[in-house]
Amino acid sequence: MGLTVAIPKGRLGEQVIEMLKSAKIGESIDEKSRKLIFEDEKNNIKFMLLKNSDVITYVENGVADIGFSGKDMIMENNSDIYELYKMNIGKCKLSVAGIKGKKIFMEDTILKVATKFPNIAKKYFDSKGQKIRTIKLNGSIELAPILGLSDVIVDIVETGNTLKANGLEVLEDMYDISAMIISNRISYKFKRKEIKEIIELISKEDECND
Amino acid sequence: MKFLKIEDEIKFSQKMFKLKREIENFLCEEGYLNIEPSLLEEYDEFRDIYSKMDKKKTVKLVDNASDILILTPDITAGIVNKFMSKWEENLKLKLFYYGKTYAHNSVEIKEKRQMGVECLGEKNKNTDENVLGTAIKVLNKYSKNYLFEIGSSKFLKGLMQSCSFNKEDYINILNLIYFKNKQELKEYLSKLPYKEAMSTLLNIFDLEGSFEEIIKNLNGLYMNDLMKEGIAELSKVNEYFKNESNKIIYDLSLVSELNYYDGIIFRGYIEHSNKEMIKGGRYDSFTEQFGFKIPAIGFSIELDELIKTLYKEVI
Repeated sequence: MGLTVAIPKGRLGEQVIEMLKSAKIGESIDEKSRKLIFEDEKNNIKFMLLKNSDVITYVENGVADIGFSGKDMIMENNSDIYELYKMNIGKCKLSVAGIKGKKIFMEDTILKVATKFPNIAKKYFDSKGQKIRTIKLNGSIELAPILGLSDVIVDIVETGNTLKANGLEVLEDMYDISAMIISNRISYKFKRKEIKEIIELISKEDECND
Repeated sequence: MKFLKIEDEIKFSQKMFKLKREIENFLCEEGYLNIEPSLLEEYDEFRDIYSKMDKKKTVKLVDNASDILILTPDITAGIVNKFMSKWEENLKLKLFYYGKTYAHNSVEIKEKRQMGVECLGEKNKNTDENVLGTAIKVLNKYSKNYLFEIGSSKFLKGLMQSCSFNKEDYINILNLIYFKNKQELKEYLSKLPYKEAMSTLLNIFDLEGSFEEIIKNLNGLYMNDLMKEGIAELSKVNEYFKNESNKIIYDLSLVSELNYYDGIIFRGYIEHSNKEMIKGGRYDSFTEQFGFKIPAIGFSIELDELIKTLYKEVI
């Protein structure tokens, strides 16, 4: 009864693969090849490389048993999964940012928020009692307030350099984000031992990142 | 590309018909009587008795008198509502039903076929075990690779009570337990005033697996009377089903989406499927809001999921 593991492409995935290899798992994974599926026959694990926002979908639908996903994606998707382990990698903040020094709320009582995370933004501002209109964007979120598309943005902030370069500043930090190991709820019942074992191995590697 | 032909649809319909009839026959043999659940419920009345109902998800209709009706989102709540208003003392009912539930998901109205069992008014020595046994037999009939999982809402309720959280913390913590998010649970609890019961809460994710494992891991942890009562019930169940122990697992962090359960709660899973096949539990306290508390236990079978596994096995 082997495990199927979903890994996101990109920087988080690279860090995960490095940790897996140092734990002697998934040695056949080659991110530079165009292949998207790799088998580790020795440990009886199948790996699939996916777009980071799709990891959660594959896990929730049981195609992958476990996966590595950012907490931001988990919060935005509101998926029915288990959040088994919070890692020390992929650390950043979800924050509200706006044009430096500029007063927001120009002409309306409804705040215009540009973001990749409309569900998180809505939930957060709801809890603050602030009415908002979300504008869903897929990239270059920082441009929205500069070009007058929105009053503020809700986005991932790691160093703040991108914000600074575009004349924005953090107005409020919302949530701490890090990578998590997630699991399908039914897979967890049938493969609990295998899943706990691999998490144990990864957590040992992960503790070095703290 | 070819889409489904009429022939395929009729084939599916025959399969569903056969599946339904098999389970119905089986439930008749087990001594359950058929009732037909109602499709429509009164919105206000239903909202009052079934507080957990997600109002946004219900499918609403308006009748001539401008009263709001909903397509039933939960058949058990509908049956209890119908019978409790005219309940007679010492009545014992073993019922089964076939029906459909309706809910809005984000895209469309989702219709689910359900078959279910309710055992009302009876609680003798082995009522829980008999109902569980019926559920296990249904699973076993359709797959040898099944797991039956049992939890205790008494244990969890007792534990949460001893921590005396406010309403907001209660909901947030139950949510973290639902997602098995151990680290964030720990962080959350560290911000609240310390209570002895929190030591058990922090270890709740170790309280899963076989009953023996759970007892071992419970050793030395805080327990109050309600929690002990929950464990005693599980112990009795475990004793009763000891011959099938490799198919039965326990999880004390099992959180039910419905808050009307009190006592054992259970789930049935089939390998390689991605949804729960069976869901149920004891819900005496749900009947209490009608003025008197009667013993009640039941479960539902997700026919739309069960039939998928039948297709898989043919391939």
